[in-house]
Amino acid sequence: MVNVLTPRTPERLPTPGPAPARDGRRRARRRQTAVAYLFLAPALLFFAVFLVLPLGFALLLSVSHWTGFDLGAVEPAGLDNFGALFADGSTFLVPVLTNTLLFALGTVVLAVTGSVLVATCVERLRFQGLWRTLYFLPIVTTVVAVGNVWKYMYEPGGLANGVLNALGIGSVAFLQDPDTALPSVVVVQAWASLGSAILVLTAGLKSIPASYHEAAALDGAGPGTVFRRITLPLLRPSLLFVCVTQFLTGLQSFALITVMTRGGPGDATDVAALEMYRRAFDYGDWGTASAAAFVLFAVVLLVTLAQLWIFRRAGEDA
Amino acid sequence: MTRRSAPWLSYLVVAAGALLTVVPFLDMVMTSFKGPGEAGTLPYRFLPKAFALSNYRAAVHQLNLPVLFRNSVVVTAVVTASVLLTSLLAGYALAKLRFPGRDLVFRLVLSTMMFPPFVFLIPHFLILVHWPLAGGNDLLGRGGAGLTVSIVALAVPFLVNGFGIFLTRQFMLSLPDEVLEAARVDGAGEFTVWWRIVVPQTAPVLVTLGLLTAVDAWNEYIWALLVSTANPDLMTLPVGIQLLRDHVDPARTLPIVMAGLVLSVLPVLVLFLLLQKHYIRGVMLSGLK
Repeated sequence: MVNVLTPRTPERLPTPGPAPARDGRRRARRRQTAVAYLFLAPALLFFAVFLVLPLGFALLLSVSHWTGFDLGAVEPAGLDNFGALFADGSTFLVPVLTNTLLFALGTVVLAVTGSVLVATCVERLRFQGLWRTLYFLPIVTTVVAVGNVWKYMYEPGGLANGVLNALGIGSVAFLQDPDTALPSVVVVQAWASLGSAILVLTAGLKSIPASYHEAAALDGAGPGTVFRRITLPLLRPSLLFVCVTQFLTGLQSFALITVMTRGGPGDATDVAALEMYRRAFDYGDWGTASAAAFVLFAVVLLVTLAQLWIFRRAGEDA
Repeated sequence: MTRRSAPWLSYLVVAAGALLTVVPFLDMVMTSFKGPGEAGTLPYRFLPKAFALSNYRAAVHQLNLPVLFRNSVVVTAVVTASVLLTSLLAGYALAKLRFPGRDLVFRLVLSTMMFPPFVFLIPHFLILVHWPLAGGNDLLGRGGAGLTVSIVALAVPFLVNGFGIFLTRQFMLSLPDEVLEAARVDGAGEFTVWWRIVVPQTAPVLVTLGLLTAVDAWNEYIWALLVSTANPDLMTLPVGIQLLRDHVDPARTLPIVMAGLVLSVLPVLVLFLLLQKHYIRGVMLSGLK
């Protein structure tokens, strides 16, 4: 996602000059165009083969029947694949898409609450860098490590149940129980994304002038009031940014779920991207898999456009 | 200042949170030292009875670790080198050269960042399988396995990065034009200007971009899984370790899996701790993670 607005460099106007000089300049300009495209050639070639071609191919597959072997045997299917996704008895809308939304929403709520709490508290402490480094560790760790460590922690003989047992509470079958499986994975995703959320919110907090807080304190406002009336409203842009980016990441994530539950038990943790993966690579059903990918893509695009619209409006307000 | 009031509560919140973050890592390390039957059994114990290195030895053998390590290193190196090079080339053209179509190309680069990776999973795989004249395929891409049998397949979708081009271009815009003009007047070609004057000054952003790219490439899972399903010789560290976790008796192999995970996480963790300022800058700029 692009979040940095880019200033456009002004185009230099052609300056009038004597005819031979202008001729030479035109030749120089033509040369520079050739050189520029030479510099751009690797990137443009890559985008053509691995961006434009795949998008077209995926779109074609989503409206076709195909067995996956002979490219000559691609048969048109109209909107059948999309229809199949939403037909009666299909699990795509419920529970897969609803799981996806719940997963994304759950991680946003947890990660944002946690990061606001930690970010505002870290502000008052010494060794801020050290604390933030600790919270950042999960971000640089492979999803296979994060998923497996947590999967182990959730097991009957794992850390989470060990703590529960020590407190005199019975064991919980976190990942085996359809009721607790999705929330359990949500916790891991939120845990892993806390560091970057804290980072963004800290930057937001640092941009609030200290004098605001001092003035409020002089007027006799307590810490709670200061937080609610000053910090939170001024933090709104950063909060919004964190919410939307975490939501987008949540909508798309499936590596963590693949590692931890593979969508199970039953389809309690099945999400759209995982469903797409399985339809394509486990069942060879390229058509509905591609259709599922585009449905999820549409959801992601909608959220992205809403984000751009919100930020543009927020920008005008400021 | 009143903001300094009740810091003990802040300490409590931050320390509790940090504990929650670090404990899973410690659990991973501790488990990697546990003996057979010590992990995953009741009652749970945090510390191993004895710190044995046998799991690390077992990981090296059972996981075919040298091959996994080599694949991960090769893919990470190739992807990082390629992203840096192509970003430097394209970024220079977009920032410092004037040519028709520049705005259009720049807009294309920006738009590439809009597409989520999962959209490309299926078509990328199929395109590589049906790559003409590779891996036993005929001219129409039929008959063989295409590029999926080659280590190239692991790296190919990540070789160019729109965000990398964007980042490099933004940085190069801030470099003064006068020096470039002077070099051109002195007869330096564009390639010389790029390599001798612009590239060296771009170093700070290259460290950031390189680190971000390397960490992502090292940790990539889904694509590496997909490619190595067809060819186990192409397994990377995450894929190989996950395979052991899935297919061998979990109670017995858990400490070995954890040892493998520690070994796979360690290089990135060290790199991050050494260069975290640059990495964090990258995450802030990309706003993606």
